[in-house]
Amino acid sequence: MKEFDYLMKKSKGILLGVLGALALVVILVVVWGISAYNGLVNAEQRVHTQESNIETQLQRRSDLIPNLVNTVKGYAAHEEEIFTALAEARAKLSGASSLEEMDEADSELSSALNRLMVIVENYPDLKADQNFIGLQDELAGTENRIAQARRDYNEAVQEYNGKVRRFPSNLIAGMFGFEQADLFESDEGASSVPEVSF
Amino acid sequence: MPMAATAADAAVWTAGKRRLPLLLSLIGLAAAFTLPAAAASADYQPTERFFVNDFAGVISSSDAEEIYALGAELQEKTGAQVVAVTVPTTGGEDIRQYGLDLGRDWGIGQEDEDNGVLLLLVTEDRQVSIEVGYGLEGALNDAKTGRILDTYATPDFAEGAYSSGMRKAYRALVNEVYIEYGLDPVDDDYVPDSPEEEGGGQNVLAALPFVLFLALFAFTMVRSRTRGGPPFIFFGGPRGGGGFHGGGGGFGGGGGGFHGGGGSFGGGGSSRGF
Repeated sequence: MKEFDYLMKKSKGILLGVLGALALVVILVVVWGISAYNGLVNAEQRVHTQESNIETQLQRRSDLIPNLVNTVKGYAAHEEEIFTALAEARAKLSGASSLEEMDEADSELSSALNRLMVIVENYPDLKADQNFIGLQDELAGTENRIAQARRDYNEAVQEYNGKVRRFPSNLIAGMFGFEQADLFESDEGASSVPEVSF
Repeated sequence: MPMAATAADAAVWTAGKRRLPLLLSLIGLAAAFTLPAAAASADYQPTERFFVNDFAGVISSSDAEEIYALGAELQEKTGAQVVAVTVPTTGGEDIRQYGLDLGRDWGIGQEDEDNGVLLLLVTEDRQVSIEVGYGLEGALNDAKTGRILDTYATPDFAEGAYSSGMRKAYRALVNEVYIEYGLDPVDDDYVPDSPEEEGGGQNVLAALPFVLFLALFAFTMVRSRTRGGPPFIFFGGPRGGGGFHGGGGGFGGGGGGFHGGGGSFGGGGSSRGF
């Protein structure tokens, strides 16, 4: 009998131990799940922030155009065609409802700006104008910011997509419907505009 | 240990036992991809004299002393960091991109203020650029940095006088930062670059996206900080995890040294060939 009691006690102890270990594992899984979920939310938020950053910079570039046009008009008022092209691209950009549309309008703006810079070559006084030089710096700086914003966006997307795809956080992503975000494929293409020949 | 147990447990839990080997190899892959990627401009690490890093060997020792003293005093009074760097070549990379990466890698400026400025001379490529941290983009807008280069740097550079051009442009930048912080510039006769000539009424509207952008950025910083990980005090740079290059050798060269504070850059500034 004593032996039986001893065995009962022992198996009870083992049972408790197993239950405790299981509970511990469940708790760990839940804690991990929460942190993985929060990681996904933060990464997704970062993608959105970077996306707005691109939009802000595209808008900023567009906002520089009126000043630029006014300055150029002071020297080359008759280059109407290019001013119209710039105005149209700007209007399209402000009417854009998505980042893709905005980016498309921005490509048009880029090409119009490139043509403007070709025209400017014919006006040495304009090229030496301090106001114009300053505006050109602002434009170049903004283009630099756009390029960087795109890189930062892609970096954020890669981090986020990595979490969505990679094991084990993909389990949480699948459970809560996190989907992969799109990379900026036109990364370099949008900023390099075809040369204009006359 | 707890994480490993959890992961293995989760694997069994969802995927079933027959896919366990695949999942285990996935864990290995995931670990491989979590390793920090090397940055392109990490060829150069900040020197002990953080404000003047003459990798191209063109700055005279007296000019280097002057730049260092100006930079150290500026940081003590304002917290802002202006850093002069010369390199022989960017290796074909765009100077603006190179400068921006270097500024971020070094973490020039304070982390919360992003008040860093980088003056970068690339001697063999015959190019110079000024990179401005987010926090100083208002004070040092692109047009202004362009004018500073035109006025103080490129005339000397064109004659091969790299050392004096660097010193003059550096002084101008330091003066501008002092003025931004409401302090007297180091040169009493310094004529601040006037922002008025940008032409009147548009300015308020033009500043709006910039303000929005700053707000967004602040938001990003707050969010990214909540993602956890150690605070980057000695090795700046917002790319969490990528910052520990070169082992633990960065504690300012043994006490009292200056180092990057974790400031970041977003593409403000301008560049010139000469």
